[in-house]
Amino acid sequence: MILSDLLGSDVVDAHGRRLGALVDVRLEVSGRPRQLLADTVVVGILVSPRSRFSTWGFERRDEHAPAIVARPQRWLHRGMFLVDWRDVAVVDEGRVTLRDGAEHLDPSLREAPRSH
Amino acid sequence: MNDRRAIGRALDAHLHLLDRQVLDRDDVPVTTVDDLELVGIELGAAIDRDAAPPRVTAILTGSDLATRIFGGRPPPSRRVRIPWELVAEIGTAIRLGVAGDTLDATWAERWVSDHIIGRIPGGRHDPE
Amino acid sequence: MKRLFSVALGILTAIGGFVDIGDLVTNAVVGSRFGLGLAWVVLVGVVGICVFAQMSGRVAAVSGRATFEIIRERLGPRAGLANLGASFLINLLTLTAEIGGVALALQLATSVDPLLWMPVAAFGVWIAVWRARFRLLENVTGLLGLTLIVFAVALFMLAPDWNALAGQALQRGTPQDEPVATYWFFAVALFGAAMTPYEVFFFSSGAIEERWTEKDLATSRLNVLVGFPLGGLLSIAIAGCAAVVLLPASIDVTSLSQVVLPVADAGGKVALAFAIVGILAATFGAALETTLSSGYTLAQYFGWSWGKFRRPAKAARFHLSMIICLFVAVAILATGVDPIVVTEFSVVFSAVALPLTYLPILIIANDREYMGDRVNGRGMNAIGTVYLVIILIAAIAAIPLLIITGGGA
Repeated sequence: MILSDLLGSDVVDAHGRRLGALVDVRLEVSGRPRQLLADTVVVGILVSPRSRFSTWGFERRDEHAPAIVARPQRWLHRGMFLVDWRDVAVVDEGRVTLRDGAEHLDPSLREAPRSH
Repeated sequence: MNDRRAIGRALDAHLHLLDRQVLDRDDVPVTTVDDLELVGIELGAAIDRDAAPPRVTAILTGSDLATRIFGGRPPPSRRVRIPWELVAEIGTAIRLGVAGDTLDATWAERWVSDHIIGRIPGGRHDPE
Repeated sequence: MKRLFSVALGILTAIGGFVDIGDLVTNAVVGSRFGLGLAWVVLVGVVGICVFAQMSGRVAAVSGRATFEIIRERLGPRAGLANLGASFLINLLTLTAEIGGVALALQLATSVDPLLWMPVAAFGVWIAVWRARFRLLENVTGLLGLTLIVFAVALFMLAPDWNALAGQALQRGTPQDEPVATYWFFAVALFGAAMTPYEVFFFSSGAIEERWTEKDLATSRLNVLVGFPLGGLLSIAIAGCAAVVLLPASIDVTSLSQVVLPVADAGGKVALAFAIVGILAATFGAALETTLSSGYTLAQYFGWSWGKFRRPAKAARFHLSMIICLFVAVAILATGVDPIVVTEFSVVFSAVALPLTYLPILIIANDREYMGDRVNGRGMNAIGTVYLVIILIAAIAAIPLLIITGGGA
């Protein structure tokens, strides 16, 4: 499986109702630190109900500038939610089915880590 | 550079990884992140709630760029992989913990260097 | 002197944008047809390029990422490729014109057929890119390019009727004998030339070549504030000279010798010599800028190793692509095409490249993960937004205007 096979998939609930498009995959750097970077695992998927248009993260971070870009982006991706990976039932080609009662979580990223 | 602060950090694959520059141990550009390989997702199979979550296992480059632009699917054998365990740091660029010239991803660069650029007089000297 | 050298990057970048061979002729054409009636466009363009070059320099200094890396990162592979294609063609066409321009300037100096000078010019550019350190390139071409100030001096020596010139500059609308579409075609062409995308590719990559960090933000600002206004000033001076000498005589500018005519008129042989040295340095500098920009954009899109601070064998594909570009440029010129006409077509590609270049710069300059506390302030965002809209309008208008006016004919 490669990441771009998942991106853009339709996300449907347990009854087959379309909830939106999968626009990103939430990862977590976890596990024991080894010599280099530790394991990175999938912890959830980000679903945007109204748009497949590429997102620049405005709706997930506390960023509002420049307004000419941030406003339309926030509007396009309004209602975006995060689904815990444990609530994903099946992944098919172009279609991801959630479990019954899958929770819609807040998609925001906690802090903006910065390094270079 | 072992970035301990990174442990437990949440990242979004598309936003923070895709299309970013990959640098080697000495800050030499290697490639861009054209795609990511995920292991632990089987198409069409029911996912066990308690199963271990899927993992990122490699940065993909080369033919994956072409398929992202033009569509289609290359045979997995054509893929150029950079194993994820070589990644040392994730920032505005992805930094590896090894030297770039040991990787398959730099094959074309080394070929051009050895067969063309390195043979032109002055090609192996610092600029003056 | 040290201060002067520290702004060499800005000066060279601006010379490539404002007074490369295509602009030298366009400025003179505009001056001979509209007087200073389009000088306002140059002012608008200078402010615009200052705003975005400053952002791209700041992003490069703070995050270490050059402009085409962030274009690929924000726009993804498809829109990034569209921009790469358009920007690369602008680069290649401009490079072709500059090689031709160097040859034309050498012809002015030596009377030897430019066709013979073209391979020499291309080889000279390659040697400079292959062997010379980045600092040497920018210092030599930047300083020698300053001799173009002779156009400003000549304007004073011509003792023009300043009130009439000011009248032209402040006049609303088009002169009576020119169609409205032609006026706007030249307005868009001048604006596009001022904001041509290879300037930010070159400036941000140059910032990395010079290893700027957060400590160098003041240097970056100084480079921008000295370089681009100077480029704009030269551009207006050339148009002014043409307005004073060529407009009343109804001379249509079609060649480089007509561009320098007012300078020779005003200052004789010495001034002419300065102008030729300046044109030679400017076209050579612009050739370097566009050659390097071709390499920078390709390498940054695909993630190849690049930079003149590495030996060529350590940035092999970067150097190979520049060599190929130079060969292609000479091949285009060998067909006998007029190098100056070549640059007119780049207006078309600007329509795609301009918005797709400046949008990602504006986004990243606001991204705290890249910039920390050095994100844009409100003022910078307000003016950046206004310019994004202007760029979009110019981009949409460019192609219809080109077709309606037949390239300003």
